[in-house]
Amino acid sequence: MIEFQHVFKSYGQGRSILADLTFKVSAGEFVYVAGPSGAGKSTLLKLIGGLEPPSRGSIQVNGHRLDQLSNRARPYLRRAVGVILQDTHLLYDRSAIDNVLLPLAVTGLAPSIARARARAALEKVGLSSKENVHPIELSGGEQQRLAIARAIVNRPAILIADEPTASLDIDTARRIMSVFKDFNRVGVTTVIASHDDALMAEYATRAFKIEPGKFADSAGQRAPTYKTVSNQKPHLHAAAGLPSGETSR
Amino acid sequence: MRSLLRQHRYALAVTLRRLTASPISSLTNLLVIALALSLPLLGASLLVSMQPVARQVSVTPELTIFLKTDASGTAAEHLAGRIRKEHADQIAGVRVIAKDRALTELRNNPAWEQALKVLPGNPLPDAVVASLTPGDQLAERAEALAQTWRKWPGVDLVQLDTAWVQRLEALLRFGRIGLLLLALSVALVVLATVFNTVRMQALSQREEIGVARLVGATESFVRRPFLYLGSVTCSLAALIGIGIARLALIPLNDALASLARSYDAEFALALPSTWMLGVAVVSVAVLGALSARWSVQRNTRF
Repeated sequence: MIEFQHVFKSYGQGRSILADLTFKVSAGEFVYVAGPSGAGKSTLLKLIGGLEPPSRGSIQVNGHRLDQLSNRARPYLRRAVGVILQDTHLLYDRSAIDNVLLPLAVTGLAPSIARARARAALEKVGLSSKENVHPIELSGGEQQRLAIARAIVNRPAILIADEPTASLDIDTARRIMSVFKDFNRVGVTTVIASHDDALMAEYATRAFKIEPGKFADSAGQRAPTYKTVSNQKPHLHAAAGLPSGETSR
Repeated sequence: MRSLLRQHRYALAVTLRRLTASPISSLTNLLVIALALSLPLLGASLLVSMQPVARQVSVTPELTIFLKTDASGTAAEHLAGRIRKEHADQIAGVRVIAKDRALTELRNNPAWEQALKVLPGNPLPDAVVASLTPGDQLAERAEALAQTWRKWPGVDLVQLDTAWVQRLEALLRFGRIGLLLLALSVALVVLATVFNTVRMQALSQREEIGVARLVGATESFVRRPFLYLGSVTCSLAALIGIGIARLALIPLNDALASLARSYDAEFALALPSTWMLGVAVVSVAVLGALSARWSVQRNTRF
């Protein structure tokens, strides 16, 4: 479903964020990406979503090599990947349902079917009573749920979310995580970046930990126990099945 | 196919929403483009209205053949007969003006009366006036006939009456080139206005464009509403421009009517035909879409 092969990502001249990253995520997995701020969690998600190209290496998502994907084909892959970024990027000049309808308008779905699907998505995240409300009138948690509804309305095969529970109270955070879990249960591969280790431990089946110079993968172990491969300088290398280094936690 | 049509419908709805979201700005743009478009429309009206006049006067050019003063009394009739016989296909009519009749007519003119009194005899020659059949290349045909007739015995001078027609044609040609240049200038104004409008829209819709791309919108999907914005704005502006030109023609025609009446003539300016106006509206809409495409391509690279 998602496969990284010796992926490097750096910005500007030499500022390496991710280096030599190799891993594979199978369909239906629920992966939690942990790590301190600036470690490269968001970058990793953007690489999966095809929102940024890698500096080196190959990334395969949903059967497509991203580096071999033409600019014309890229939008079609994005439809298969539901993305929820740290900033929800909601459109504040239109109602909640119109926000959710946008991904369906992009596919040219019939308006009646699109509206029914958008309503179902809003219902799934508990916002069916607020379909005509503008995002500015929604609370932080509701905005986050609206962003989730927009991401799942196209029935993506993969769902990626960057800090979806940040700055939310624990009850709202749990509610949002339950929504993700529900989608994961029906086979949607889910990758979430978060600082909240304890909360993620309740839902994720696998965890990655990114630290400057280190990458750990809990694959093959009871989540969230990490296998960490130490790297020299920014050289990171880890993957399921590779010889493990130290064990954290 | 249906999905593509739905996407076009969506783009059109987005365009109308954006246009109505800032009515003052949209209206100002429409008026700027409409006023600019009304100028070449008025120019075209002038040319279109002048063309029948030019055609009418250029179908009756005449050549006057003056005979030598010592020519016999029957020479003019003989020459007229020869012209009718040898150039029947090119001549619409021939008439003889005898020198006595010409002198009488001249004497009736008070400006010449005194001068003619002091002359011992009739200094005027007999003349034959030939009018040409209508058709193409009148000036060239008249010149060729004049060349031929100058060589005929008894002929002193052949005078072409086509010079003023040529002047009028040159004036119309000048008008056409002027109109073309004006149309090009207006096209540049339309191009710049639409480019800037779309640029402003693209910048203000940055967030929406980013989100659309995030959820899998193709570049065509992102650009389509802007192309509609360009073409809808220009189509509406062209229609308003036609309305402005039509309104402007009312006082112009009133003034022209007074002028024409003083010459015992009737003349009025009229807009080009509906078919031509339709072509103009479509051309302006296409120009707007092209300008919008250029602008959106340059201003959505983020």
